[in-house]
Amino acid sequence: MPESEPGLIRGYLEVLAGQLPGPIVEELADGLTQTHRSYLARGLSPDAAAEAAVTEFGSAEEILAGFARVHPARRAARRLLGLGPVVGGCWVAALATSRAWPGPAPARVVLGLLLVSCIGLLAVAALGRRYRVAFYSGIAGCVGFAALDASLIVGVLVVAGVASWVTAVAVAVSSARIAFCARVAVVSQQNT
Amino acid sequence: MRAEELKGHLDAVLLAALEGGPRHGYAVIEALRQSTGGRLDLPTGTIYPALRRLEQAGLIAGTWSVVGGRRRREYRLTPAGVQALSGRRAAWRDFSAVVTAALEDKVCPSPSPA
Repeated sequence: MPESEPGLIRGYLEVLAGQLPGPIVEELADGLTQTHRSYLARGLSPDAAAEAAVTEFGSAEEILAGFARVHPARRAARRLLGLGPVVGGCWVAALATSRAWPGPAPARVVLGLLLVSCIGLLAVAALGRRYRVAFYSGIAGCVGFAALDASLIVGVLVVAGVASWVTAVAVAVSSARIAFCARVAVVSQQNT
Repeated sequence: MRAEELKGHLDAVLLAALEGGPRHGYAVIEALRQSTGGRLDLPTGTIYPALRRLEQAGLIAGTWSVVGGRRRREYRLTPAGVQALSGRRAAWRDFSAVVTAALEDKVCPSPSPA
């Protein structure tokens, strides 16, 4: 950031840089600098031009919320929350028909807690107004769901040795969710 | 016109601003100001997340260049973006014709071919 930039613009960009990835901040800095220059060209003093440029740009909160809304992890969190009941329904049907609840009671409690934690993390990612919060909670939720799905698949197929078409459907749905979560993790990493 | 009133149409407006050729964020805003006679009152910063969303959707593509020692991101329409713009335009013409007919008590013209 050039030293000649007014403190107001520098401070504004620093707030954005605290949350947003470097390339996004660079793009915003370029736009803000051009806006500032356009006001200077209209005859405003550097400080007045900086104030006008920042006002025209909108509040930092508004911009951060805008980027959080378009973060891939946030959209993924909404999809996972929306499709969660479908996957859950498949597993309830598979486990109920096979009577093979995976693992001993403590393991089931751990899976239950993992499920609740994942839903909570994804809810934070889906509703949060902060870019990094959307990223970290979304990724954590995805990893948790992938771990949950993998545990269920291993528990039912390997430990319990259950094979039925209902179980096959549940395994297929969970495998698809693991693949989706992995893809989200890669895409989100590229955007952060 | 305020940003809230544009809700649902921002994507089409941004795609239209890129129809003439590649533009960076600030140039997109300037183009919109010029084409609307300054009547579009958008907080400039809100354009950038919208451009990012369109890029993620594959409707525009961004490339970096260096101008005056500063990195600048320019966007251009992709073939999917051109197609989306065409569809949004046709939908808007139909919508506009229907609402205008309803508000002005006129007979609505036939829908434009898709």
